[in-house]
Amino acid sequence: MRRPWHDPAWRAEFSRGARDMLPAFPGILAWGLVTGVAMVKTGLSVPLALLMSLLAYAGSAQLAALPLIAAAAPAWVIALTALATNMRFVIYGAAMRRWLTTYSKRRLSALGYLSGDFSFVLFMNRVAKEGAFEHRDAWLFGVTLMNWVLWQLASIVGIVGGAFIPTSWGLQFAGTLALVPLVLPACRSWAGASGALTAGCVALLANGWPYKSGLLVGVVAGIVAATAVDNFTSSQREGGHP
Amino acid sequence: MNQMATRDVVLAILSLVVATFVTRAGMLLVGERLRLSRHVEAALRFAPACALTALVLPEVLSPSGVLDVSLGNARWPATLVATTFLLWRPSMLGGIAIGMATYVAIRLWLA
Repeated sequence: MRRPWHDPAWRAEFSRGARDMLPAFPGILAWGLVTGVAMVKTGLSVPLALLMSLLAYAGSAQLAALPLIAAAAPAWVIALTALATNMRFVIYGAAMRRWLTTYSKRRLSALGYLSGDFSFVLFMNRVAKEGAFEHRDAWLFGVTLMNWVLWQLASIVGIVGGAFIPTSWGLQFAGTLALVPLVLPACRSWAGASGALTAGCVALLANGWPYKSGLLVGVVAGIVAATAVDNFTSSQREGGHP
Repeated sequence: MNQMATRDVVLAILSLVVATFVTRAGMLLVGERLRLSRHVEAALRFAPACALTALVLPEVLSPSGVLDVSLGNARWPATLVATTFLLWRPSMLGGIAIGMATYVAIRLWLA
């Protein structure tokens, strides 16, 4: 189908995705607002901050780049920092791609550009439950575009009103809280729970490593731990020798 | 900031865009050329839970970069309350509301 939007089933999945993202709105709004404020507090002019928000939809990489921009670091340093900060998305992409191979490069480019932490976890939770459901692209566009719109609205408010919004309110904590319910279902299995615990503890120990590398090391350690526990528990279930 | 040329900032923004796109869309675009083994595919099932905890735990337990489990860091009791609520009723909105309410209450109480 060339214009999927004309297919009612596609549209239905799209709006379902948008609705599935909606409960996270306080978290996304708070996060976007904080990022918007941070951009102008760094000293970016309002037009440049708007340009950055609308083009570089990057969250944590944006925040990591701000002090470098303020210090007039060369563009390649900023690019390398953003690459390092975004490394977890490579793991996300590796996990998602087997469900998305049927779509065109153009559509995958758009989905990749719009994807974030939320859309990744929501997507993986849904395919874990339902397998390769129909119109996955539509649903994912719904989720990611809702995320994009909420983020941009909040970020623009932060940019324009930055001078009046104190950073001491701790608003970004709402964004952290929004992620908690997404972790809990995965912790029902021993493997998932031990993976999550390992990832969290390693990330905590490695907190403050440059380029958010502690986060990446934590994720990898968690995946390894979860796989080890999973191999052990499934060999126990099968009654064979481990 | 005034001393900083607009051209340099635009260049910085563009490099941010490229780096972000490469990491987020790259894996989706390599397509058939890259084959992941069955074991790697199976291991990646655990990526969401691991990524989220690795994001959340440092934010909650060491918001300033140093481990802080005193009441001066209102984040961890607030997350504990929100998690307890979420185990009983899985509502993202409810979790944020109760967590933020606890967070604000503790900070006002200590202030």
